Amino acid sequence: MRIRSPKDFWSGLFFIAVAAGFIALSHRYGTGTMHRMGPGLFPILVSVLLAGLGLIIAARAFVIDGPPVPRFHARPIIVSLIAIALFGVALAHFGLIAAVAAVVLVGALASRESRPLETAGLVVVLILFSATVFVWLLGLPIPLWPEA
Amino acid sequence: METLGNLAFGLGVALTWQNLIYCFVGCFLGTLVGVLPGIGPVATVAMLLPFTFNLGPAPALIMLAGIYYGAQYGGSTTAILVNIPGESSSVVTTLDGHQMARKGRAGPALGIAAIGSFIAGCIATLVVAYFAPPLAELALKFGPAEYFSLMVFGLIAAVVLARGSVLKAIAMVCFGILLGLVGTDVNSGTIRFAFGQPELTDGIGFVALAMAFFGITDVVVNLEHTDKTDVYGERLGSVLPSWQDFRICFWSIARGTGLGAILGILPGGGALLASFAAYMFEKKIAKPPRQFGEGDIRGVAAPESANNAGAQTSFIPMLTLGIPSNPTMALMIGALMIQGIAPGPQVMTERPELFWGLVASMWVGNLMLLVLNLPLIGLWVKLLAVPYRLLFPAIFVFCCIGVFTVDNKIFDIYVLAGLSAVAYVLLKLDCEPAPLILGFILGPMMEEQMRRAMMINFGDVTIFLTRPLSAAFLIAAAGMMLLIALPSLRAKREVALQE
Repeated sequence: MRIRSPKDFWSGLFFIAVAAGFIALSHRYGTGTMHRMGPGLFPILVSVLLAGLGLIIAARAFVIDGPPVPRFHARPIIVSLIAIALFGVALAHFGLIAAVAAVVLVGALASRESRPLETAGLVVVLILFSATVFVWLLGLPIPLWPEA
Repeated sequence: METLGNLAFGLGVALTWQNLIYCFVGCFLGTLVGVLPGIGPVATVAMLLPFTFNLGPAPALIMLAGIYYGAQYGGSTTAILVNIPGESSSVVTTLDGHQMARKGRAGPALGIAAIGSFIAGCIATLVVAYFAPPLAELALKFGPAEYFSLMVFGLIAAVVLARGSVLKAIAMVCFGILLGLVGTDVNSGTIRFAFGQPELTDGIGFVALAMAFFGITDVVVNLEHTDKTDVYGERLGSVLPSWQDFRICFWSIARGTGLGAILGILPGGGALLASFAAYMFEKKIAKPPRQFGEGDIRGVAAPESANNAGAQTSFIPMLTLGIPSNPTMALMIGALMIQGIAPGPQVMTERPELFWGLVASMWVGNLMLLVLNLPLIGLWVKLLAVPYRLLFPAIFVFCCIGVFTVDNKIFDIYVLAGLSAVAYVLLKLDCEPAPLILGFILGPMMEEQMRRAMMINFGDVTIFLTRPLSAAFLIAAAGMMLLIALPSLRAKREVALQE
């Protein structure tokens, strides 16, 4: 047996794993009866369907040919995720100005083409823009500075 | 006559100076963001969502609709000038549109796209005005079993008519439904799948989900390929097509509009299918067989009219049934819910100003797009030259701020990061995100309707097949699945959707 369609194989496994997780959790919530469906029943029904589909998708990967899984480029995705998470941390503790600076400065590293001076300029522009538009013009309740 | 009266009432709502401004701002911002390379309409609408939070429901919806058409039109501009479709529905526009641009006829191509879209938009507005009310009336008679089956039908249709593997798409629908169930169960008060996180009791943020799948992952994938693109904007030529051009295109626009309006109503149809079908149709009937693919102006006029007509009529299932036919409509429903309005057939009777105001604003919005785009094309061309390295950090900023402002919860930002990781992996595995979004929106509604149906009918599952309308929906859904499984049709679908 050889996996002929790796993309399908891994997606199938992914779906099975998700379904298994949801089934395991759903049992705790109580299934009730068909007449009075409990909070766990509908998720279980959907999960069983998902698991079945996952199984077919994964099994089919041994029969039909498909393209290989494309390369994962580590830098863009990991840097982007870190930048977004940092936005959250910075916003919680230091306000919007710091958060924008953090996500732009770190996020720019996701591309090899970013240039330090340009990025610095971009930070200033985006801080001015978000402060003016979101906080001042639209009046959204976002703290600009660290809350004392 | 009643329809005309309603339209007049709607115009009264849409033409208040306040709503006119929101419509204008929506069209302008939508085009502005839609023109930027690598940002599709879903990401555009999601990013601009915070601009509407402080408005009332009607202005918010009017502005979002404006953003949607604007983004759609902006996508065509990038398709013609840089050969990069801003969104999937303008893929076919690149075929002839970009060839026209290479021959120095970018101006007329952009012009005919705007004019065709405007004509299509006007006609589609009438279609919405005439067809939506009877459909809503019918939907009001639906019981829970009918509703459940209708949603199954809608999801299956959306999946069959979309790109990629049908099995994977249905699996994505299921995954979406499950994600949609996270949070407090309204019937029992049980908190489900929250892992003890108090922030998850309200469920996963819809905006965070949409941004993760359509905003952040798109950026990441764009960063992986650093292709250089050429802008063909130096020689625009006159933006107004010649009389000759217009004569050639007239029937193409008419046919495109007709096809688009019909296909837009179908679940999963919308703008994408409309533009493909219109292009194929024109190519087949073109007499004499002109140079399609080498810069034939009809190859721009037909799909552009069709995608605008389709974009507009896809509001019909959203407004009358509360069922989104594509991810953008799912976002609109999300926006309605944020405004505290439950989408469904009752919206038309309970909030007529919302419904008719939106319909009338569609027409106003199309006029604005025409007025806005013909003189501003020069500005849009300049925007295309903005390098991606300056653009993508700005996208991060707007996504993060947008996600935060929905509920002012920092936690949602972390949800955005987590979902982006999942979205990235799924994208690498060729699992389409659109079905997941639809499942996410419809999941809780399906559970609710199924529970009600079971409650009324003492747990008898056969009710879905013994009620005639419900059975009809399920049989139609099954029929579509069977059709797609037939090898000959499958091959055709792949050809039609690949291109």
